Parts: sequence; C-alpha cells; structure tokens
Amino acid sequence: MSEPVIHVFNHHAMATQFQVRIAGEEKAYAEQAAQAVLALADELESRLSRFRADSEISQISQLAVGGTLRLSEPVFACLEIARWMELAMRGAFSVTAAAMKTRLAKPLWSLLETEFSIRCDSGRLEFDLGAIGKGFALDRMAEVLREWSCPAFLLVAGGSSILAGDPPAETPGWSCGLGDDHSPHRFWLKHCSLSGSGLTVRGQHIVDPRTGLPGSRRNRAWALTDTAAESDALSTACMMLDEPDIAGVLAHNDRWLVFLNEGGSWRHLGNRPLPPAA
Amino acid sequence: MVTQPLNRREFIGTAAAAGAGLMLASPAKVMAQATGANSRLNLALIGFGAQGRVLLESLLAIEGIQLTAIVDIWPYARTYGQRYLKTLGHPVRTYENYEELLANEKDLQAVIVATPDFWHTPITNACLKAGLHVYCEKMMSNTIEGARSMVQTMRETGKLLQIGHQRRSNPRYLFALNRLIRAAKLLGRLTAAQAQWNRAATADFGWPKHTDMTAEQLAKYGYTDMHQFRNWRWFKGLGGGPLSDLGAHQIDIFNWWFGVEPRAVLASGGIDYYKNHEWYDNAMVIYEYPLPDGVARAFYQVQTTTSAGGGYFEYFMGDEGALKISENPNLTAIYKEAKSPSWDELVAKNYLRTRAAPAAATDATKVDVRETAQLAEYEIPVSFSKKIHQPHLENFFNAIRGKAKLNCPADEAFPSEYVIHKANEAIAARKTLEITPQETEA
Repeated sequence: MSEPVIHVFNHHAMATQFQVRIAGEEKAYAEQAAQAVLALADELESRLSRFRADSEISQISQLAVGGTLRLSEPVFACLEIARWMELAMRGAFSVTAAAMKTRLAKPLWSLLETEFSIRCDSGRLEFDLGAIGKGFALDRMAEVLREWSCPAFLLVAGGSSILAGDPPAETPGWSCGLGDDHSPHRFWLKHCSLSGSGLTVRGQHIVDPRTGLPGSRRNRAWALTDTAAESDALSTACMMLDEPDIAGVLAHNDRWLVFLNEGGSWRHLGNRPLPPAA
Repeated sequence: MVTQPLNRREFIGTAAAAGAGLMLASPAKVMAQATGANSRLNLALIGFGAQGRVLLESLLAIEGIQLTAIVDIWPYARTYGQRYLKTLGHPVRTYENYEELLANEKDLQAVIVATPDFWHTPITNACLKAGLHVYCEKMMSNTIEGARSMVQTMRETGKLLQIGHQRRSNPRYLFALNRLIRAAKLLGRLTAAQAQWNRAATADFGWPKHTDMTAEQLAKYGYTDMHQFRNWRWFKGLGGGPLSDLGAHQIDIFNWWFGVEPRAVLASGGIDYYKNHEWYDNAMVIYEYPLPDGVARAFYQVQTTTSAGGGYFEYFMGDEGALKISENPNLTAIYKEAKSPSWDELVAKNYLRTRAAPAAATDATKVDVRETAQLAEYEIPVSFSKKIHQPHLENFFNAIRGKAKLNCPADEAFPSEYVIHKANEAIAARKTLEITPQETEA
C-alpha cells in the first residue's frame, strides 16, 4: 500500500502556527483551497484578536456599561459558543478569565440574538478568546474545506488543537498522539477534534475564572469532542476542575471525552467511545 | 496654539473616565432616532466579492437602512450572500446583473457598487441615470475617460456619487489633518511624505469545484475564463494593478492632505515575480507636490512580492515633526523635532497623548551617558468603535438625507484617480511625466 499524498500548508495567524493538511486532491487545487482557508484564519484574527486595536474584541472592550455593539456573524457565533461552554464548564472556563487577574468582579454581558449585538451589563469586557478562538477558527476553516469539496483534511492550530475531517484514502484515520512528539498514546481520528492544555510549554499561565488566580490542578489534560471550539474550552476547563467535577460535566454530554495523565497513569473520562488506537 | 473648536464631523466627546482618550460614540442609534422611520433608505449591493462582503459588514452595523438586494454575476456568490444574510435575519432578493436589479427593484434610493473596476463606469452611470445615489468603490474606473464620465453623469443627474476612499471619513484621519496639521501646524512646513502597502506574495485565487460559470456567462461579462474572473485585478482592461488596488487609497491621502495635485510623477515597476499577470507586481513612485512654501515630494511603494510585515501606513514629514498614520491605530505615531515649539499645550488639551518622552535635564552641569535616548513620541487620542468603512458609508447615507456633505464626491476624487493612472503610465514610459492642473479637472 503506497503512502497517501498529503499536501501540507503552514501559516502564522492568531499568534500561532496553523497547518492545513489536505489529502486526495491535486496539488494546485489543494493549494488554492488552503489559500482560501488560511485567508479565513487571517480574517477571523482581524475580528477576534485583542491585540488588534480595530478588532471587534477590542471594540467590545471599549463598551461602557449599557452600551451595545453590533457584531459580525462569526464573532457573535464564537461568543455564543464561549457563553455556552462557560455554563457547561460550571464557570471553570471563561473568556474573561485573564481579566479577572486585575478585576474584583466578573464583568457581565449579554448577547442580543435578534440584533446580533453584545451588551455590556457591568464592568469592562476584556475578552481573551485564547484557545477557543483558535478552535472556532479551525471549525470555520473546516467548513470552507468542505465547501471546496476537500473532505479529507487535518487542521492544526499551534500543535495544541487538531480538527480531523475524512481520513486519507485507505487509512482508518489521522494518527494523533497525546502529548509530546511521537507519543506512544495514539489514536486514529476522523470527524472530531482533539485539544490539549498544559503547563509544560508555557508554564503556569491558565487563570481560574472563578478566582482570578492561577488554578491548575494538573499538568496536562486533553479533550476529544466533535468541534475544536468545544475541545479547546473543555481541555482548558479540565485544568481547573477536579475529577468529580469533570465527571459531572461529562455526564451531560456523550460526545465529550477527557484524557488525563497523572503520575504516569493514563485514564479517560466520559461516555464517548474511545477512538481506535493507532 | 489651537483656537478653533472641534467640528461636528470629528464628533469628539470628552475623555473617557478611564483615561482611554477621546471616544467616538456610535452614532447609529442616535441617527436612527433623529431621522425617524420615514427616512429608511432602501439599497442594493452590486458585487458580492471580497470587497462587497467587507462593505456588507459595515452596512449591517448601520441603522436606518434596508439592504433589499444583492447582485453578482457568479451564482456561487449570490447563493452565499443570500444564505448569509438569511442567517442574520435579513432576507434579500438576488439578481445576476444591474439591469435586472433596475428593472425589478422600484423602491431603491441608493446602490453600493463593489464590482471589478471595469464595470464601475457602466453600472454607476446607469444607476445615477435611474435616479439612484451611488457609493462606488475605488478606483472609479479602469480608465480616465470612464472616471470622467462618472463625474459628468453625477453633475447631469444631480444625484450623489461617493467614491470609496474611506479614510476621508475616518475620524482619526480627519482629526490629524484638520486639528493637528492644518490648525496646530504641528509638523511645521510640510516637505515630504511616504506611504507603502506591501502585501505578502500569494498564489492566484481559485474557486471551489462545481462553481464554474460557463464560457458563455463569462464572455457575456467580459472575462476569458474563471481564472481571469477570480483574478481580475491582475489583468489590463479589467483593473489597474496594485497601484490602483492598494495605492489608490494612499495616493489619495497625499492629494487630500497636501491639498493640491502633483505636478509631476516619476515611477518604476514591473512584472518581475508572477509569470501569468499583466499588471506590475511591484511599483515605486515619486510625486512632486507644489505646496505654497515649496515643493514637497511624496514617495509611494506597493509590493505584492514581499512579506507584509510592518503593516501599511502613510507618513507625513515637516521641518518640525512627522506623523505616521494608518487605519490600524497601533501604527499611528507622531514625532517631535527637538527644536520645534512645545507641544505641551496640545497634550494638556488632549489633542495629543504622550507615548514616550526623553527625560528632561534637571541639572545642566551634569550629564549621564547610556544607550541612545528615546525620541519624543506622541499618539492621536482618538479612537472609534466602528468598522473602518462604516463612517464613510454613514457619511453617504447622511448626505442622502441632507444632513451631511459628501466627504469624497466623485469630482473631488477624480484628481487622485487621474494621478494614479499617470503613475502606471510613467512606469510604462520609464520617464517623468508632467501633470498640468487642467488635466486633473473632471
């Protein structure tokens, strides 16, 4: 069996390295599809980055209490997911987590669905979409690839999040490992997203939105879900939640699976069936 | 030093409590309340490519308007647009071309034209003659004659024709020009300017499988094939190349801020990188501006063959200071010459904000030697929470309602249009071309 031809494209956006892998297409077509996909990553960065003074996230941070701002569809959709994940994670995930380091009270905000707007209800809305923004970008990039009739793809954001489409021809999936390069703990993944959070690379950088303090309970956690926005938020929250709380979160969603590795012992939590080992 | 109050166009409030500087309140709701439901404007967006989508996002943020239709020759774009707008709760009708639009939509007040350049003239002229106000993206046309005819039609019909040089409505640009350069004469005598837009080298645009238009459809609208349709900016007869795509915005700033048209242009450029393009992929241009105090030269560079690192900006220099400005506020900075008069009064009035200042000597008998001291650097304390095209579109709609004067009517945009075309001519001629005031009159 010959190795499938996979075209790989790299791009820097959202302060991270994005990679698009496309299988089963002519190189020229794959290149054009990747260009469209990566242009979307740039566009989303221009809307979602808190480091861009003209981004919608920066504009949101300027809202006075009671003020509203009309959002573009992708920013509204991303914040809808973020709001939902905040509830699902029992407050252990929040786009205002970083702001809590310097604020006494959690800022409050509402999404106004009929107006596609956000309203500042209290405080200053200093959003840091962080990983969920990159995960959301992967989800939207996948939509573009399907629109371009490129179903066999793997999207990677910074090495910490992947979103797998169809597998390359004659393979059971994309071989994805948990942890460092050439991890022995590998799975064949397709039509799902895997994200990892941890302290190994960037140190203690994850803030518990419930306290505003560094709150990691463990060194690493991985989440397997259907979408990258979900897997990013879930893996981040799992850094803060204790195991009973993780189990409680997972009890409400059969599409979520969490991997933990503490003291050299691997285990998984959740009702989603394990993908096949690679 | 500063005597004139701020005008309404600059719409500056007082400094925010948090010291965030001057904030521009979103006028959308204020405008809607002031104008009432009867002044709702119905409009159509003609051309739903990349720029059409950018303009759509700004349109969606403006109250008091109703987008009733989108027009595009590509079925894929029409379907995408209709679906997207339906998602947002804005159902629209779609048409293949502007003739169908004008035949079927009888309650329009205005159109937004964002098609490839070579369609701007026929569409704009037809819509003006149909009694509609027109916001047309720059360039006005791919030919000087086409642009001139648009000005003539605007005059004949009495309808408004705004050209999409959106920086002319950007509050930071207006503040910098009117308050800092003209009123406060912050830069002293203007002697030079430079601007650049370097865009990363990229492959040509493709298109999803199964979305090709037929050869007959493409030919009907002036294209030889799908590749040319998707990459029209690179083809002569369709667009004007990077000098008109990117340079148009910034060369227009030269004309606007200097307040005169250049009297000569010298340029060099070529097709040195891409193998299948007809327009120059890089260009360097020098204009000579006859200012009252003497000539100022402006250098413009556009590259599509490099890294995009550093962003794009315009930089105006005088004998007392320099001002760098961009649509990205992070790239805006003002530098003071050590010999120029104090700017402290301007800082106190919040016309400037200090970003970095050299330490003042407290004892003239002593000096400390260390790394090179930082230059005095300031920033413009104006920000606004809008998309960058929104103020220019709002200016257009307010002008339709009789509440504002157009910031970039076609007759005022024409001189910029002319000198941009002349830069392309200068590259081809490989020599300096003189420009007379009569040439730039529409």
